Amino acid sequence: MSMSTLASTSSPGTPALQASSVRKSFVSGRIESTVLHDLTLDVHAGELTLISGPSGCGKSTLLAILSGLQPADGGAVRALGHELSGMSTRALESFRLQHTGFVFQGFNLFPALTALEQVELPLSYMGLAKDVVRKRAAESLEEVGLGPRMRLLPAELSGGEKQRVAIARALAKQPELLFADEPTSALDAANGQIVIDILHRIARAHGTTVLCVSHDPRLVHHADRVLAMEDGRILSDHVPPAASAPSPLPGESLPPARSGA
Amino acid sequence: MVALARKTLVYEWRRFLPAILAVGFASLLQLLQAALVLGIFGSASVYITGSSADLWAGYPGTQSVNLGRPISEDVAMRLRMDPDVMKVEPFRWVDADWRGSRDTGGVSVFVSGIDVHPDGMMFARALPPALRARLNEPGAVIVDKADLDSLGVDIGESAVINGQRVRVVGVSSGLRALGGVNIVASLETARMLDLSHDDAGMMTYFIAKVRHGVKPKLVANRLNGSNAFGPYTVWTAKAFARESSLYWMFDTGAGAGVLFLAGIVFLVGSVITSQTLIAAVIGSIREYATLNALGVGRGSLRKVVMEQAFWVGALGLMCSIVIGLILLVIARNRSVPMDLNPLTTIVCLALSMALAIVSGLAAVRTLRRADPASLLR
Repeated sequence: MSMSTLASTSSPGTPALQASSVRKSFVSGRIESTVLHDLTLDVHAGELTLISGPSGCGKSTLLAILSGLQPADGGAVRALGHELSGMSTRALESFRLQHTGFVFQGFNLFPALTALEQVELPLSYMGLAKDVVRKRAAESLEEVGLGPRMRLLPAELSGGEKQRVAIARALAKQPELLFADEPTSALDAANGQIVIDILHRIARAHGTTVLCVSHDPRLVHHADRVLAMEDGRILSDHVPPAASAPSPLPGESLPPARSGA
Repeated sequence: MVALARKTLVYEWRRFLPAILAVGFASLLQLLQAALVLGIFGSASVYITGSSADLWAGYPGTQSVNLGRPISEDVAMRLRMDPDVMKVEPFRWVDADWRGSRDTGGVSVFVSGIDVHPDGMMFARALPPALRARLNEPGAVIVDKADLDSLGVDIGESAVINGQRVRVVGVSSGLRALGGVNIVASLETARMLDLSHDDAGMMTYFIAKVRHGVKPKLVANRLNGSNAFGPYTVWTAKAFARESSLYWMFDTGAGAGVLFLAGIVFLVGSVITSQTLIAAVIGSIREYATLNALGVGRGSLRKVVMEQAFWVGALGLMCSIVIGLILLVIARNRSVPMDLNPLTTIVCLALSMALAIVSGLAAVRTLRRADPASLLR
């Protein structure tokens, strides 16, 4: 697979993401609530890092700031050696187009497009040739086990399949950074497990830095590193015991699509 | 490039249908309104447009063809003296009162006294030669077949104009005028019907044909040079027809009404269209936000929305053109005065497309809500 080529820019050990003294607060009415308190963090390249914590602990905000979707109030954020803090909206968009992929809790697929077109759509804005776009999109869908179903519309796919399309959409860009926000919380156990395996494999096989925010306990055993957050601070930072021996991988290709997620 | 705008339009056609219909109806209303206005006010100049003359000579300052006053016979002489004038023909206009054989009360009519020679220029386009020849009979008149009812006569029946007995010898189409019923008679019959004896020998207009290949405008300018043959003005047929139509349009206040209605149609159309497009953008706001998170720029997203607006406009225009053509054909078959020229059509269609584009611009603003950070929950 050609995806591993891009991983060379971020060798293991060097932080792919660095946050130093990042502060963020929101104002609603007269009350200002601080979500992140001078948070400092390194996320290592080629690892699956999991941020977990109760809702409202600031983990999604941290993800938004580290991925360049939201500016921090203070502190510095470096991603792949780029300083994100001072970038213009357009420069951030361009950075995200070139380097990042996103998987959200909702699948956010255009109802009118087939699975293949969903994946092709962002690729077509990257200035790639048409046949390259088609090839990469098809490969990504094959990789998440949706090869036979790539001509179907979202309405014809199950929830788990939709999330796999969303992952393929992020993966096809061959990003160095993949951000996932509660990717399994809308899925049942079986489909959640499939998605977890795919995320794990993306980090392993492509050397992609995967930063995942979730309170799904199943994910813990698949992560290379688990950060527990509470009240805008990181409480613990540890390597889970099962990280070196993940649950059995489903082999090169995933099982065919199942319905009823 | 994945055709997101078009595929969404096809897949979610129910969502876009109101916008397409709004543009279509707005366009159709503008077209029909323009056609009606042009048709109705164009009929004010039916005397000019139904004739084959290039030049019209009449009383100075005449604002509309129905407001002519008698001019001297010498003017005809002046026209004939011009080397580029091939033929001159008199036209007598008589305001008259009509009483039909059925009980219709008095009807205000305009009697057009014309040269009945087969090669006569007046109403050359509305009267075939055989019909024209029937006017040779003293007291013979021809009316538009759509006017028969209001005149209370049938073909072959007699009526009374200004106390004189006349007989309807035939009907034609394309004779309907504005402001009064147009009655065509020979110059002799018209003279007999004219009650004002002080200018009994005088004609209202002299119309002329210029040499083939010569611009009527040049000849008209040349003829307007002096008043040695009595007061007169020479207009080209085109200019006089335009002047007559415009006089009616503004004299009746219809012009302002038309503009007002066009404004209302535009406003209502753009409100419906923009609301529909905004709803479509909001319906896909999370998907747009996801694309933005993946690095697809806001400019590209705006392009998708504008493309949708364009297609909505194009489909709306197509609907209006098809329905408009059908209605025009029906109107023509039923003698409804409707007339549309290419320029007006293009202006109407362009206005409707502008409506769609303006609505698209309004919907583009909604894209600001496509904030990728809001997808993180």
